[in-house]
Amino acid sequence: MSEPKDLPESEALAAEHALGVLSGPERAAAEARLARDPAFAAEVAAWRTKLAPLAEAVAPVPPPEGLWPAIARALPANDDVAARRRLRFWRGATIGSLGLAAASLAAAALLASRPPIAVAPAPPAPILNASLMSPGQGDRPMFVAAYDPVRRALIVTSLAQPGADPAHVHELWIIPADGKPHPIGMIEPGRSKAMPMPKAMAPMFAPGAAIAVSVEPPGGSPRKTAPSGPIAAMGKLSRI
Amino acid sequence: MAPAAPDPLAPLMSRIAAGDRAALRALYEATAPKLFGVCLRILSDREESEDVLQDVYVTVWRRADRFEAGRASVSTWLGAIARNRAIDRLRARGPLARAEPLEDLEIADDAPSAETRLQASGEAARLAACLDELDPRTRQVIRTAFFEGVTYEALARRMDAPLGTVKSWIRRGLARLKGCLEP
Repeated sequence: MSEPKDLPESEALAAEHALGVLSGPERAAAEARLARDPAFAAEVAAWRTKLAPLAEAVAPVPPPEGLWPAIARALPANDDVAARRRLRFWRGATIGSLGLAAASLAAAALLASRPPIAVAPAPPAPILNASLMSPGQGDRPMFVAAYDPVRRALIVTSLAQPGADPAHVHELWIIPADGKPHPIGMIEPGRSKAMPMPKAMAPMFAPGAAIAVSVEPPGGSPRKTAPSGPIAAMGKLSRI
Repeated sequence: MAPAAPDPLAPLMSRIAAGDRAALRALYEATAPKLFGVCLRILSDREESEDVLQDVYVTVWRRADRFEAGRASVSTWLGAIARNRAIDRLRARGPLARAEPLEDLEIADDAPSAETRLQASGEAARLAACLDELDPRTRQVIRTAFFEGVTYEALARRMDAPLGTVKSWIRRGLARLKGCLEP
């Protein structure tokens, strides 16, 4: 092998930090630099990636049985604890005004129409939309959803009032033609988010498939494969 | 180098970011034994390794939204968090922690067996091949640093070599490694 050039000082430090040979104070200095110097952070990340395959050689050791329950107990309810505390449920809560609904629909459409991150070779498949209605709540949707097959993501906006019931969360489900529900994820009241879908689930997002929202204990339905709580809202996917 | 197959753990990350505990549990089942092994190698203490592991998964729960799928695989990301936390713990014991190698973790042979190599990913095989091109002493010192997370000082003490010498072995070794990985 030919004699390579020395690494530039900054990269050498990044590599040493990634390898983990720096002393306590040097590590602290490197961490501080990481936080304010994106180029250095990128170098450290690149070296971590370079060295990471070494860890494959480490023999796995099963952790003790009690460790997962300890972790589960240590989990905060959610990062966004304040938002969860503000949870207010569809029962009895006023759903946003029509104006809010329209604005959120527009937001969902805007999110859905953002260009895909990956280059899509095929002509873009049409976006599917669903308005999720609540029984007994008139003709205003409680959630709006748009599925973008190019990004393979469901963009959901909750029009539920952020507010009152910290004991429960809203869990989304896709119910394809076979009628079996599959969990998609959680959505906080009043929020919008794009939820990337695994490849295996993509075919479920077809016109006519239903999207439902159930009211669940924090962490979602303990039954995993079916809602455990009442259905808050439901709607079918269709092309606009 | 793009991975040949999509990262099987990546879909879990978006579910975790959405607050799905079952997804975190699935990630734990899939990755905890390897990360526990990594922590044990660095800390050689079960209790401390359990603490670090707990810390890692709570961190993942809170920061899953910061995971960038394009940059690294989930297991690389997790491995880096676990090593980082374990090394922080080790540093709390002082710069000379583990300057004396443990009997069963002798500096000598961390080289993967032929069998492990056959099962290794393309990236691991490539890294192993590049490490093989280094002289044996440099290869050993880089492996020991990675697996045990010890400082330059501790390495120098173990190898009974001046600090500056160990430092230049590693720096030169890393430069060669880069030259080999990115020809």
